[in-house]
Amino acid sequence: MAEEEPCDSNIERPAGHRCVKYTSKPGQESVDTSIASGVHLLQKVRKLAGPLHLQNGEMMKAKEVHSLAIPLQIPRQVGRKRSAFAEGLRNILDNRLVIILALPAILLVFALAYIPMFGIAVAFEDYKAATGFLSQWVGLRNFELLLTSPVLGRLVRNTIFLNTLFITAGTVFGVGMALLLNEIGNRIFRRVTQSIMFLPFFMSWAIVSLLVSAFLDYYSGVVSMASRNLGFEPISFYEEPAVWPFVFVILRIWRDTGSGSILYLAVLASIDPQLYEAAAIDGASRLQRMRLISLPLLVPTIILLTLLAIGRIFYGDFGMIYTVISNNAAVYETTDIIETYIIRAIQSTTNFGISIAVGLTQSVLGFICVFGSNWIVKKWSQRRGEDYSLF
Amino acid sequence: MVVSSFTPQKVLQVDGYSLWPRALTTEAYVWALRGTQVLTGYQVTIAVTFLGTFLSVAIMSGAAYALSNKRFKFRNPLGFYFYFTMLFGGGLIPWYITCRMLGLYDNIWALIVPSLVNPWWIFVIRNYFNSLPIEVLESARIDGASDLQILTRVVLPLSTPVLATAALFVAVGYWNDWWLGTILLDFAPFRPLPVLILRIMNSTRAINEAMLAKGAGITIDMSQIPTLSVRMATAVITIGPIILLYPFVQRYFIKGLTLGAIKG
Repeated sequence: MAEEEPCDSNIERPAGHRCVKYTSKPGQESVDTSIASGVHLLQKVRKLAGPLHLQNGEMMKAKEVHSLAIPLQIPRQVGRKRSAFAEGLRNILDNRLVIILALPAILLVFALAYIPMFGIAVAFEDYKAATGFLSQWVGLRNFELLLTSPVLGRLVRNTIFLNTLFITAGTVFGVGMALLLNEIGNRIFRRVTQSIMFLPFFMSWAIVSLLVSAFLDYYSGVVSMASRNLGFEPISFYEEPAVWPFVFVILRIWRDTGSGSILYLAVLASIDPQLYEAAAIDGASRLQRMRLISLPLLVPTIILLTLLAIGRIFYGDFGMIYTVISNNAAVYETTDIIETYIIRAIQSTTNFGISIAVGLTQSVLGFICVFGSNWIVKKWSQRRGEDYSLF
Repeated sequence: MVVSSFTPQKVLQVDGYSLWPRALTTEAYVWALRGTQVLTGYQVTIAVTFLGTFLSVAIMSGAAYALSNKRFKFRNPLGFYFYFTMLFGGGLIPWYITCRMLGLYDNIWALIVPSLVNPWWIFVIRNYFNSLPIEVLESARIDGASDLQILTRVVLPLSTPVLATAALFVAVGYWNDWWLGTILLDFAPFRPLPVLILRIMNSTRAINEAMLAKGAGITIDMSQIPTLSVRMATAVITIGPIILLYPFVQRYFIKGLTLGAIKG
């Protein structure tokens, strides 16, 4: 057994800890082993085939070092074995400061995300503000109301239709823009273009809706003015349901093309330039290189992002739609989505029962869709030897 | 928009928007800033953005530290606790009822507290913490540093890139937020700027519609309606700081977008 020596570093150690000096070969410089480096000692011993050579000329078997190092590392575990529960409790107590650091977030998430989950119960209740989540139980009445009202079809249809348009337009323009940016040789020009395209992403929808009204307002809008100058009767956009899906798609393209192209650009940047050089030598034109090299290599990313977007198809873009349309009943036919309907119910406290039922329906369908799409992504990407799923 | 905010109201009414107006004036700004609403709105927005961003990043990095701490055995269950809220939620109405029950209604905290914690950013920050060399943290621990000291003196200073990115996105979120102000403020005497813009716009549109429906017969006190150029001035005030700061911080923006796009 090794001779115990006083530790020569000036780290303060709890009473009962032993220090040992060792080398792996005779004559080598010795290492002071203490509580902290007990772990390292253990790791070294595991790698060693032969015994340790101690400073005082003795040899030490790996087993002996083990018995030495473990008590040095975690003195508490010496003695009787604790139950898993006691271990867990011990760990929580040891890390109480860590838990206190995380506590604000834990409490906030509990209050604002988990309590509302219990609030789902209101979908089966006759909600009254005074009784809150514990209002009178009415079973499925809210859902019966929902199924008999014409509103459900409209909400689901609009939500899914608009989202389908957004996904399609977003993918086409994101990929297109990435392909074009990728062809730009001038770095500075490319960076500036990118920055300008990202900017709308950081604008408040409130500002955007103001800009939209500056374009489409019946009296003073740019479009109205132009058509008056050209001798047409201007269109009253805010009373015309048919135009809004187009307006929304244009807005989404304007806002999201920059940020949407960024992932595609990252993929394109990782393509081996030799591919392009070889194709160029073989006489492929720029367009052919884009179509036959860049695009096929983007396909996995396109599929992945589209699948993930489809997972969220029940969650409408209420930021844009609510701010731009607001409570303009004239165009609900094409613009009213699940979220805007619920917001109106909150603000006017009419149709509360129906909107609570709509909300729960959306939560459940949305959950299934997110989970389903993620499952498909997982299966699909695992077959390719990768994992792109979110969870 | 910028141009029309400097254009006199009369020119706007006659000529509509143009890139080169016939006359320039700062009248609209003077009017907008003299009115208490816009000025209070600006103060509210600034206060909410600074307070909210600071608290949010502090709280989220605390949680991220717990999730990255190898000594803490329950970090994975805790991770799932945060993660589950990204998958499933109670929906808008229970959330709204909860906010009101907690007193997050008609006061400034209603604009701050609901968006303090975003699980997504917690995981982004945790991933960065995980990439820090563990030896540095361990040696700090051996030197007698507590977890709080390790976090504030070692981890946070080493993580400025990710913290800056997160702070920037959170700040933009608070600055642009119209949602909490719309839904959780009813009788409060203050409104953040984006909510003000929306309200002004909706009331003007309602008046326009009324005029369209009833013809010119009805009389409306036009002085009560903020003019077009005032609306534009308010919008310029709101968007100004973002546009001005954008060139300097845009690399963080781009980094944040890339982080947001890949697996956490």
